[in-house]
Amino acid sequence: MADDILLDVRDLQVSFGPVRAVDGVSLAISRGPFGIALVGESGSGKTTVGRAILRLVPASAGTIAFDGQDVLGLRGPRLRAYRRAAQIVFQDADNSLDPRMRVGATIGEVLIAHGLAGRGARVATQVAALLSEAALDPALASRYPHQLSGGQRQRVAIARALTVSPRLLVLDEPTSALDVTAQARILALIRRLRDERQLAYLLITHNLAIIPGLCEQTVVLYLGRVAESGPTSELLTRPAHPYTLALRSAVPEVDAAARRSRIILPGDTPRAGSTPPGCPFHPRCPLAIDVCRTTVPPLQAVAPGRQAACHRAADVLSGLRPPGAPAQLAGEP
Amino acid sequence: MSPIKLEIRDLRVSFAGHPVASVPELNVNGGEIVGLAGESGSGKSMTILAVLGLAGTAGAAVTGSVRLDGQELIGLSDARLRAIRGRRIAAIFQSPALAFNPVFRVGAIVSRTLRQHGLSAAEAAARADAGMRSVLLAPELLHRYPAQLSGGQLQRVAIALALALRAEVLLADEPTSALDVTVQAEVLELLRELRDSRGMAVLFVSHDLAVIAELCDRVAIMRAGQVVEQGPTGQVIAAPRHDYTRELLAAVPRLRE
Repeated sequence: MADDILLDVRDLQVSFGPVRAVDGVSLAISRGPFGIALVGESGSGKTTVGRAILRLVPASAGTIAFDGQDVLGLRGPRLRAYRRAAQIVFQDADNSLDPRMRVGATIGEVLIAHGLAGRGARVATQVAALLSEAALDPALASRYPHQLSGGQRQRVAIARALTVSPRLLVLDEPTSALDVTAQARILALIRRLRDERQLAYLLITHNLAIIPGLCEQTVVLYLGRVAESGPTSELLTRPAHPYTLALRSAVPEVDAAARRSRIILPGDTPRAGSTPPGCPFHPRCPLAIDVCRTTVPPLQAVAPGRQAACHRAADVLSGLRPPGAPAQLAGEP
Repeated sequence: MSPIKLEIRDLRVSFAGHPVASVPELNVNGGEIVGLAGESGSGKSMTILAVLGLAGTAGAAVTGSVRLDGQELIGLSDARLRAIRGRRIAAIFQSPALAFNPVFRVGAIVSRTLRQHGLSAAEAAARADAGMRSVLLAPELLHRYPAQLSGGQLQRVAIALALALRAEVLLADEPTSALDVTVQAEVLELLRELRDSRGMAVLFVSHDLAVIAELCDRVAIMRAGQVVEQGPTGQVIAAPRHDYTRELLAAVPRLRE
């Protein structure tokens, strides 16, 4: 079993001064093809987890192992090798691509920096192949980022990440700056690359609706802690945590029949650094009871392969809903 | 049925003779939310700017007719437009962070706008407080700087400002596209409430047909500057007549595969 694990994160903590942005997060990413989703609102710590995995921000405690190798202790050439194996695609390709570099140069630079470039004209051929793989016309190599659409720019960012043949991709909200039509095309591209390249990826998102079909596993974060984790299909159809219920009910639906009554979370998305006593979610939780205000619920097994940090997880799993919310997705068996 | 609040006829927006948006006929009644759906570049935002009388400042030529309660807006002088824009027709945009000057407190921005439209300092303060309460924000937040509020809070302040001005028409250009889905759900709920309890006429622009389906009474689908289909939202969603509408529908991500 352990041999199947590509990346193993245990009890990860990341602090910025006195603020603990990530507080004891564990997750395991299997060898590709495999997708895991990290879901939460702004301020949940999901982006910080992704950056800590890539050593872009320092972890203050916990362990990260890639292929059994300790990531947090890597230095020099071995850190460089890890950064070839694990790549990131950011939300905003407007800012992650250099506006003064042509697309071809942006990708060619990576080939050269990692010593992967062929001589002379060979680089152009390599760049063209990468652009085609990301479903872009190779002729776009001579364009500047501002001459491309948002969806095309994000494809360039993906092509650039593929340059070094990574085994793990961190996709940080790769579609939230895009139209739904451009989003659908990027998601289809990720699905195709996953199989063709045997990729493993961590998909960071606030929108549960983009996960089905892309991620086998889902981890829901709230205020830097895991609220719930498990296989995506079970977690979406039968949530164990009221926060997952709320995230699910917030997804806009085209079909009137699929629309659930909305669970509007009172108050604003919380900020790390002002964690309330008891369960971090209790001030917004429509199902909170006395124990939630005083005692932090431990993350524990609630079903095979599933964990949740909620005093009422067993009740939620067996259908407890806030007043006004139906127990099931409409149309569910 | 409420009377037509905003009436658009043969509206054409073009840059150097090149047409970018063309809307033959679109009405928004009081107490109604009408959606304008399409991808980036389809002309939805240019339509909004033309209604606001701002397309000209972007260098576009505008022809056709936009009437507010029967009064023609196209061709009005800047001075007369300024008295309408903001006060009777309010607008909220995708990025509330860009709509608020970062060096002023939120309350200063709100009160300056109210006073520009002729309210006294005392009236402005009272209206700002009431506006904040109607969007479920504590009036104390007016003392903060924009950077100290979340995106969802700022978007609600922008709506509070429209309420404080007693705007009759709200133009909303992708107001939830930059927000978390949970915060989006709150803002949509708030817009429904403005429609139902205040009888506001809302023109709502989005690329996401799921959001349109949840919110809008009627919808016009735009592609490459043209309206390709329009009708009651339920009907357009259930039985789309144009291939492009079907394409937009297929792109909507769904919880169940």
